[in-house]
Amino acid sequence: MTAEKGKSIQRVRVAAQIFFLILFFFLLFKTGAAPAARFGFSTAFFYIDPLILLASMLAAQKLIPIFLLALVPFLLTFILGRFFCGWACPFGAIHQFFTWLARKTGRRKVAVDHRPLRIKYILLIAFLVASLFGTQLVGWLDPFSFLTRSSAVSVLPGMNFLLQHGLQVGAGDAGIVARVVKPLYEFSRKTVLTGKQRTFTQPLLIGFALVLVLYLNFYRRRFFCNSICPLGAFYGIFARYSLIHLKTTGECKGCNACANHCTYYGSPYQDYLKSECLLCFNCIADCPHSAITVEMTRPAEGSRPAVDVGRRRMFASLGSGLALAAFPAISVFQKSRFHGFIRPPGSVREKDFLKKCIRCGECMQVCPTNAIHPALLQTGMQGIWSPILVPVNGYCEYECNKCTQVCPTKAIGKLAVEEKKKFKIGTAVVNRSLCYTYADGYNCAVCEEHCPVPEKAIRFRSVDVYNFRGKLKKVNQIYVVPDLCIGCGICENVCPRIDSPAIAVGAEEEQRETGE
Amino acid sequence: MERRTLIKNGIAVSSALILPSWLKPEIKMAPGSVVRVTGDSPYDITRRAIAEMGGMDKFVSRRDVVMIKPNIGWNRVPEQAGTTNPEVVRALVELAYTAGAKKVIVMDNTLHKAEDAYSRSGIQSAAGKAGAEVRFVDDNRLVAHDFKGKNIQKWPVFKDFLEADKFINAPILKHHGSAGLTVAMKNVFGILGGNRGKLHRDMAVSIADMANGFRQHLIVVDAYRVLMRNGPVGGRLSDVEFKKTVIASTNVMHADVAAAVLFGLDPRELEFLQAGFERKMGEIDPAKIVIRSVTA
Repeated sequence: MTAEKGKSIQRVRVAAQIFFLILFFFLLFKTGAAPAARFGFSTAFFYIDPLILLASMLAAQKLIPIFLLALVPFLLTFILGRFFCGWACPFGAIHQFFTWLARKTGRRKVAVDHRPLRIKYILLIAFLVASLFGTQLVGWLDPFSFLTRSSAVSVLPGMNFLLQHGLQVGAGDAGIVARVVKPLYEFSRKTVLTGKQRTFTQPLLIGFALVLVLYLNFYRRRFFCNSICPLGAFYGIFARYSLIHLKTTGECKGCNACANHCTYYGSPYQDYLKSECLLCFNCIADCPHSAITVEMTRPAEGSRPAVDVGRRRMFASLGSGLALAAFPAISVFQKSRFHGFIRPPGSVREKDFLKKCIRCGECMQVCPTNAIHPALLQTGMQGIWSPILVPVNGYCEYECNKCTQVCPTKAIGKLAVEEKKKFKIGTAVVNRSLCYTYADGYNCAVCEEHCPVPEKAIRFRSVDVYNFRGKLKKVNQIYVVPDLCIGCGICENVCPRIDSPAIAVGAEEEQRETGE
Repeated sequence: MERRTLIKNGIAVSSALILPSWLKPEIKMAPGSVVRVTGDSPYDITRRAIAEMGGMDKFVSRRDVVMIKPNIGWNRVPEQAGTTNPEVVRALVELAYTAGAKKVIVMDNTLHKAEDAYSRSGIQSAAGKAGAEVRFVDDNRLVAHDFKGKNIQKWPVFKDFLEADKFINAPILKHHGSAGLTVAMKNVFGILGGNRGKLHRDMAVSIADMANGFRQHLIVVDAYRVLMRNGPVGGRLSDVEFKKTVIASTNVMHADVAAAVLFGLDPRELEFLQAGFERKMGEIDPAKIVIRSVTA
């Protein structure tokens, strides 16, 4: 195949990558803005992720029908190898861009070493073994979870901040700059910078993880895809059996120019690794002798080139997986009946929740009031980045059921709006040491006013009290009706007390879905 | 120039500018009197109420920027009577434009998420279709306004409300857990930013402070559907009663007194009205207020 042809294939590949990248973010934005219960395929990328399929099935020990869509890219791998990584993965497209940037800026050490390629297989095996024992951590590194989570929690709110801040500074003053920037600012307020700035519990950590894997592209081409991505490893295991095959012809002069931009630092000439080849076709574009062809044949016995992880490392990763499964599972969290966090409405029982949740952050992205946040250690070690409600930042909107519609693994089960209104995620408790109506003897009923339950789960009764001046006074003291309270947390959110909310929602009496 | 002559000249010039209004029959209104119109269509009774008040051009001059401040606090549909009836808002927007307004803005600092409240209340589309600019509040536009009140002096207010030439206060009449009622005086809270929850500590005084310290040109109370219990957020349709009424006045306190009577409460028992009375905002005794009832 000629270099020109290689270059045109390259262009098609880049176009496909851009298309899928845009599609991904289009769906993500749609998830954020769509009216309730109209999501369609907003989480489509998760459904075509065979790794999520396998890990969920291992953890839940049952089949999840919608995920069978993932068999399509999986089966195509037996024909086209890791085409998905090279052509369709949106996260891969971002890494490809940074790899290209690294090349343009000439800031990469030459590292012809295949050892880092093994890491991802070791991670994959460890994660899957852990899944088998009910510790589901694959979402930490699954590319779609990674990208959705970091976009929702760090990148999009961060961009909103920078844009709003920048435009606002420009629009603040009079003068020529303001005349240009002000309409721009006002336009953006109506379109992209919708309303309030979203804030999250861990933008730094989650954002840093993203920055780190992006920066690693300056160290090795597509570092994440080649060395970390468990989905890439999964495809890699099967890609070695694929029909598609790159081959050098008799024209080859052995110059090894094909290795110049190979993403895994191999080449069809030397170190051809089908398990690692992303079919980027950089090699064909680089070949000065048109000496590389693409063939679709059944590979001969014994010619299934792949990275050799090594038996000892396999055992080591198996062991790591067992440790990963066991250590969090024997923490005191498992036994304690106390827990200080609340899950989104419709969540399945905690044990199943941790098995099902893939930490993708779709629920955090979709929550209109910015109530759902990634946990750090509040829910135990297994629960890192699983969703919890943080009422001081946002409350569960009474008329909304978006998170229950969007969860790709049904860790948050589907609820109709009317069902959600009755779904009890926790119970509010008045802290009498803080509440103005008890502590200070003032009237205040902001929580009562906001309580969305029509019968009012928060009420007050008129009581004669001696206030801090020793004066007898009638005060309307707040109390909660636990049977009516659904734990939405708007009371905690609006409590005017500055030091700490005087009414707070806990998991007492929380309701959980049984999960079928 | 003396104030008196200034006013005289002003009246002369402005009446010359709006000549057509001379031709209309002049309706004599005692200052601070209240109009109460009852009828089947919220849109029609609003128009009628303004007509009974002497027409919108009495309040809105040509080239004015008019701010209409409905209650859009909650993510509620009109049937739940948690927010001002969109038809009332639409009528007001249309009338303001007919009176020659340059621009009509509709906005509120909502309690629930603004986008949800604006759209579900129906006000966004109703006011938008009538040509109003439906604007969201922007924290960058907060400035300190001196209400010169008893408890509240300086408090952050959205500039938009201060910059408008005319302010129309268009609340809905509702039950309110801690204040008893929420009508026009309480509706002024919607122009505020900051930690509004703090104002609930001594709410009656705060309500009077806010309503007294902010200039309002016209008050139109939507009492078409009235939330009788579990306010101000409500939600249950069985708590809503049809009163099919619109109350209009230029005195915010008198509008609230008339609304309290309509609700079935004695205004003298409402603390925030007492606080308003003490501050001489108006009469608290409904017998001392001219309330003209009309059926459309």
